[in-house]
Amino acid sequence: MTALHNSTQTKESDRQGRPLLEAKGLFKSYGKVEAVSGVDFSLAENSYVTLLGPSGCGKTSILRMIGGFEDVTSGALVLDNVRMDHIPAAKRPINTVFQNYALFPHLSVAENVAFGLSYQNVPKSEISKRALDALKTVRMDALADRRPRQLSGGQQQRVALARAIVNAPRLLLLDEPLSALDRRMRKDMQIELKELQRRLGMTFLHVTHDQEEAFALSDWIIVMHDGRIEQQGRPEEIYACPSTAYVADFIGGATCVFGEVVEREGDKVVIDTPIGRHLVPGVSTLSTGAPAALCLRPEQLTLAKAGIAAHVKSCVFRGSDWIIECEAADQVMQVVVGVNPPAQGALVHVHFDPDRAWVAAASRGDL
Amino acid sequence: MSQPVDKIGNWLALPVVAALTALCLAPLLILFVYSFFQVDFVTILHEPTFANYAKVAGSETYRGLIARAFGSALLVVGITAIIGYPVAWFIAKRVVAAKSTFLTLLLVPLYSGDLVRIFAWRVLLGAEGAVNRSLMWLGVTDTPFGGLLFSPLATHIALTYNYLPFMVIGLWLAFESLDDAWTEAAADLGAPAVDRFRRVTLPLTLPGLIAGGLMVFVMVAGDYLTPQLLGGASGITIISAVNDLFGTAFDWPLGSAIAWTMLAILMLCFGVGALAIRRSSFISEGT
Repeated sequence: MTALHNSTQTKESDRQGRPLLEAKGLFKSYGKVEAVSGVDFSLAENSYVTLLGPSGCGKTSILRMIGGFEDVTSGALVLDNVRMDHIPAAKRPINTVFQNYALFPHLSVAENVAFGLSYQNVPKSEISKRALDALKTVRMDALADRRPRQLSGGQQQRVALARAIVNAPRLLLLDEPLSALDRRMRKDMQIELKELQRRLGMTFLHVTHDQEEAFALSDWIIVMHDGRIEQQGRPEEIYACPSTAYVADFIGGATCVFGEVVEREGDKVVIDTPIGRHLVPGVSTLSTGAPAALCLRPEQLTLAKAGIAAHVKSCVFRGSDWIIECEAADQVMQVVVGVNPPAQGALVHVHFDPDRAWVAAASRGDL
Repeated sequence: MSQPVDKIGNWLALPVVAALTALCLAPLLILFVYSFFQVDFVTILHEPTFANYAKVAGSETYRGLIARAFGSALLVVGITAIIGYPVAWFIAKRVVAAKSTFLTLLLVPLYSGDLVRIFAWRVLLGAEGAVNRSLMWLGVTDTPFGGLLFSPLATHIALTYNYLPFMVIGLWLAFESLDDAWTEAAADLGAPAVDRFRRVTLPLTLPGLIAGGLMVFVMVAGDYLTPQLLGGASGITIISAVNDLFGTAFDWPLGSAIAWTMLAILMLCFGVGALAIRRSSFISEGT
C-alpha cells in the first residue's frame, strides 16, 4: 500500500507540472442552497478526468461553471494561467457535450457540426470539409445530411461529440454523456470515448454518477460528495485506498463497519469494531482514538469454517455468482459465493484477509 | 373494440359539425354566390358575372384600401413581434412562481371590451390627454400636440396594444418548449448573443411567431372600429367600405366581392403560414 501511495504521489507532482485548468476555492450557491462548497483541483494536459458522485453532489454545477453557463459565486477558474471565470461562454476555448446532446433540430448533422466553425478563423471554403472530417472521426459521415431527430441516441451522441471536437477546444466537457444510452451501447461508447481522447490528445472532463464508467475511462477521478471533494486520485488508488467510508461504499460497494482506531502499527492500524478487533492497512492520517470504518468489499469476504459468526439474511443470484447478505452484531455484510449458497437463516462464518481489507476515515455525517 | 366508441364519437360530433356548417360556412357561401350578381337600383339581378371582381381590381380606391389593410396588419405583426419576444421570453424563462399571474395580467385588457380600450386611448392621447399634459409639465412643449389623436399613429398604437396578447401567447408557448440547452450549446460553440437569437432562438420559436402573427394579422386586417374611432380622416378602411356597400349604398354584390377578395388573401396567408409551421416543426421530418 505504501508503494502505491508513494508512486501516486510522484505521479501527482508530475501532473501538477503543467496544469491546463485549475479550480481554486470554487463556491457556487443558488440563493441559500450551496451546491459547491470550496473545491480545489487541477486538470493535467492530455488527461481523462472524471467528476464522480451521486446526483446533487455539485458535479454538474462545477461543469457548468467551467463551461460558462453559471456564474462562479466565489473562487477562481484558471485556464492556461489565465483567469477565465469572467469570460463569457462564447469566448472560452472549451466545448461541451450536453447531457441530452442539445443538437439543433432545425439543422442537418453537417450543419450542426459546422456551427462552431463559423466563429473560428476558418475560411468558408474549408468549413464543410472540416465538419465532414470531424464526422469521419466518429464514423457519422454517411449520415451528414440527416436531421438529428432521424438518428438513434448513440448516433446523436457521436454527432454531439463531433460538433464539440471539431473546434479543437483546449478542454472538452462531457455532462453525463452516456446516461441516455442502453447498457450495451454505453460499454461501446466508453471504449470509443477513451480511444478518441488518446488519439486527439485533448483533455476530457467527464461528469458521471456511474463508478464503473469512471474506472473504465479515467486517468484521474475526483469523487464528490455534498459539494465537496471527498477524494481525488488515480482510479487504482481510489479503489484500493479509499480515504473515507463514503468513497469505499460509493466506489466498491464496501460494507463499512464503524469503529475506533486503537493503535497505529506502521502502515497498519488496529481498529476496534462490533465484529472484533483487527489489524488492517489504513489511511495514513488516522491517529489513535479517531473514528474510522473497516471497509470490506463483497469479493474480499468468504464463507469459512471459522471466522465471524453471522446469520444469512438473503441470497441474490447474479448469474456468475451469488451475493449473500449476512448479519453479525447488527452489521450487514455482503459476501460473494460461487456455488452452493447457504440457506436463508443459516449460521455461517465470514472470513476475510486483514491485509486485503482497508480502514478509511469515517465520513462527515457518519458520526 | 374501439370501433363502436369511434362511431359514437362521430355521432356526438355531428351537431357541432352541423352548427358550424350552417352558421359559418353557409353564410360565406351565400356571400360568395352574391359576389357574382349585379345590382340595378334596388333589385339584385341574378345573372352571374365577374364584373364586381373586375371593379375591385380596377378601382384605385379599393386596391389602396385593401393594400392599406394588409400593410397595417403586417406593420402591427412586426411591432407586436418585437415587443412580444422579450415579454414571452421573460414569462417563459424568468418567471417561476408567478407565471399564471403574469399571463392573467396579459389577458385582463381583453376582457374589458373593444370600446372601453379605444376610449381609454382617446383619454391618453387627446389634446388634453395624459400624454400631452405630462409633456407640457415636463416642459418638452408649451402647446399640446394635436396630431397624436385621430391619426394613423393613434390607430397603430391602439391596434398594437389590442392584439399584443395574442402574439405573446403564441411566442410564450414556443419559448416554453424551447430547451435552454440549445442556446447554451450555441454559446458554447462561440455564437455571440445576436447570432444565438438569429440562428437558434428565432428558427426554433418560428412556429409560435407564425401562429401568433397570423392571429394578429387577421384581426388587425378585420378591425374597423379602432381606425374609425382613433384614426380621424385616416379612419376609412376596406371593412368600413364593405359595411357601407351593404348598408347605405345597397350594393351587396360588390360588398361580397370585396369581402371575398379579402377572404381569399387571408386564406392564402393562412395556407402559407400553415405550410411554414409544418416545415419548421421538425417532428414531421421523421423517417
